[in-house]
Amino acid sequence: MALMQIAEPGMTADPHQRRLAIGIDLGTTHSLVASVMSALPTVMRNHDGQYLLPSVVRYCEDGKVLVGYPAQAAAGQDPHNTIASVKRLMGRGHEDVQLLAGHLPYDLVPAEGMIRLRTRAGEKSPVEVSAEILKVLKELAVETLGSEPEGAVITVPAYFDEAQRQATKDAARLAGLNVLRLLAEPTAAAVAYGLDKKSEGLFAIYDLGGGTFDISILRLQAGVFEVLATAGDTALGGDDMDHVIAEWLMAESGIHLDDPLWRRQVLQQARQAKEALTEQEQVELTLDPGQGAPRVIQLTRTQLETLIQPVLQRTLPACRRALRDAGLKVADVDGVVLVGGATRVPALRRLVAEFFQQPVLTDIDPDQVVALGAAIQADALVGNQREDLLLMDVLPLSLGLETMGGLVEKIIPRNTPIPAAKAQEFTTFKDGQTAMSIHVLQGERDLVQDCRSLARFSLRGIPPMVAGAARIRVTFQVDADGLLTVSAEETSTGVRSEVLVKPSFGLNDEEIARMLQDSFAHGAEDIAHRRLSEARVEGERVREALQGALSTDAALLQADEKAQLDAASQHLEQCLTGSDADAISKAVEAVEAAAEALVQRRMDSALRRAIAGRSIDELGE
Amino acid sequence: MAELCIQCGAELNAPPALCHSCGAIQPFRAELSLFEVVGLPESYDLDLQALRNQVLQLQKSLHPDRFAQADATTRRSSLEWSTRLNEALAVLRDPLKRADYLLQRQGIDALGEQVKVADPSLLMTQMMYRERLEDLLAARDQNGLDQLRGEVEEASSKAVNKLHILLKKLPCEQVDEAGSVLRELQFLDKLLGEIESGEESLQNL
Repeated sequence: MALMQIAEPGMTADPHQRRLAIGIDLGTTHSLVASVMSALPTVMRNHDGQYLLPSVVRYCEDGKVLVGYPAQAAAGQDPHNTIASVKRLMGRGHEDVQLLAGHLPYDLVPAEGMIRLRTRAGEKSPVEVSAEILKVLKELAVETLGSEPEGAVITVPAYFDEAQRQATKDAARLAGLNVLRLLAEPTAAAVAYGLDKKSEGLFAIYDLGGGTFDISILRLQAGVFEVLATAGDTALGGDDMDHVIAEWLMAESGIHLDDPLWRRQVLQQARQAKEALTEQEQVELTLDPGQGAPRVIQLTRTQLETLIQPVLQRTLPACRRALRDAGLKVADVDGVVLVGGATRVPALRRLVAEFFQQPVLTDIDPDQVVALGAAIQADALVGNQREDLLLMDVLPLSLGLETMGGLVEKIIPRNTPIPAAKAQEFTTFKDGQTAMSIHVLQGERDLVQDCRSLARFSLRGIPPMVAGAARIRVTFQVDADGLLTVSAEETSTGVRSEVLVKPSFGLNDEEIARMLQDSFAHGAEDIAHRRLSEARVEGERVREALQGALSTDAALLQADEKAQLDAASQHLEQCLTGSDADAISKAVEAVEAAAEALVQRRMDSALRRAIAGRSIDELGE
Repeated sequence: MAELCIQCGAELNAPPALCHSCGAIQPFRAELSLFEVVGLPESYDLDLQALRNQVLQLQKSLHPDRFAQADATTRRSSLEWSTRLNEALAVLRDPLKRADYLLQRQGIDALGEQVKVADPSLLMTQMMYRERLEDLLAARDQNGLDQLRGEVEEASSKAVNKLHILLKKLPCEQVDEAGSVLRELQFLDKLLGEIESGEESLQNL
């Protein structure tokens, strides 16, 4: 470098004393690296001045590995050997990616544990592919800093589970990076703003990427960042805006071509128009279908804003939900941070500002803010700053147990700060039951079939007791890494069983968000279903109890009483085959009313026998 | 008898998770109350800001992130203390849970399933509120919902005030009354949640 650097005394540490650390935002579409240099967090640029590295890796015929723009350019002609969006496959097993498989052009290999991709360079795991991206970023860092960084902080989505975090960490190690910590993306963004401004308070982090939307509420107080709530919609992003614009363009052009190439071309123009209209008031687009004359279409910013308004509105329910989960009102929020390139759209900024009733924080580039926050944290962790941050996380999805009738009883609700523990008591359903199957689930819905199954285990050796007498205490312990231990114990006898499970293992963020959305969309349906299930369970219990009683004590009833009870019982059986919760409940009441005389006389006779010196236990014999 | 630090043998002050002399983390003690864990006097009247600060300050020294490289026993202690601190903050900052916890410390389970106290006036109030909520939601009456929410919030803060009086002296002597106020507050809290989720679903339509 020809020019000498001049620094204020105290602003820059001596290069030999200052320890080097980097922050990396390893994104689905783009990745970037930043570091605190001359007391300022700064993103690193390559020779072309670019700081965004497309997260695309191509394995070439000559054995070379290309990363970034050159790889992206070849995606169309060499899809099997050009891997994009590998982040979606991190920490995923073969079964988990079946849903994605149809959308990805890769040759997926079923393997033990994590999925593998077949390329001309051999089978590659998503960890290896990610490592290629990280290697390029590391090289850029070494070149910029002049030496090897001591450590790196790498960001992950708030929803990432333990397996995904572990895979990210492995990729970094493979790239020769010393991982100081994995940091949640919204937390990194908050760190970038919070420390920059030395402010304390509540932050809303609004993150709209290409295909996903996340909103997190964080509190910064006395050096502790707490995630209070997260919510999102992973089927929503900047791409949706491009699609509505493209639809409009195609309608406006009057060209109706069902050609994928043509559609891709229009989509590309839609994206460019959207980007151009963040600065300009109007753009002119030329659509050339290849046959016939090209069409020229004008698009104004006002028109664009009308088109994308429905997409923008769809982010608001998650904002309301996150606030509600955090127990906050809009007025409590001290700062709104925008993350993701799609938040550059002026109409979006206005909408978010209006919703949160305050100007949004935009002084940090939304594409850079996560990497900058990671750089600040990395700098603190290698000891350059004395201020010690503590970042506290929450459970992204509720944990629960299966109960009778295929229902889920929530034990630890979502957004509970971790580490967390909770114990709940359950009881046996049938007389003499000696084992209990414990099924651990994760999700927000009421029914087992709609939640993700995490683990099943059995508690055996429960001493035979009458239904409802056993006391089974099930304890959940979630540690700070999100690892779950479930133990079960029959409290009167001390019979124990324990299992270690990974919560949300195998869940991808799309699934998590979809499950969250479904729980809100199907709330009413779930309530109806829950009522029916509960009515059925109660109906079955009454029917079994009645059969038990009749098998021993039918003689206690008069003929007309017996007939009445039989009729009520038959009616109940009939209702149980149907799906009318009210009818079942009414039939149960009718049976209970008809059985009143029987219950009374059984008790009398039991009492008489007990007085005569016989134990209750013998009565059932 | 005072507890001593496992590392340096110094006498432990409150809160007892960390030694004040050498800073060593102590083995977890499950028998300590939530108040003892956070190092605040047992009382219904609690400075919530002080509670938060105290818990966050302790988390900074006790959180498992601080012991990532430590031995298994230390990591276990850190996990247990940190879990308990999170629980303490969740229970003690909530007026309903805090009152319930204080009564449970006296052996009274006012919100348990076994308790089926027929309180006709509460039942009547519940039914009336629920009907009103249903009607307002059906009519999509946002102003009506705001008014209902205001009333419920006021009733709820009245109930909390009553609890402050009933739980001023501990152990509480009027446990039946405290229990019935607690059940009323539980209902009001739940209703508030229903009003909010109802409003949310109206807004999202």
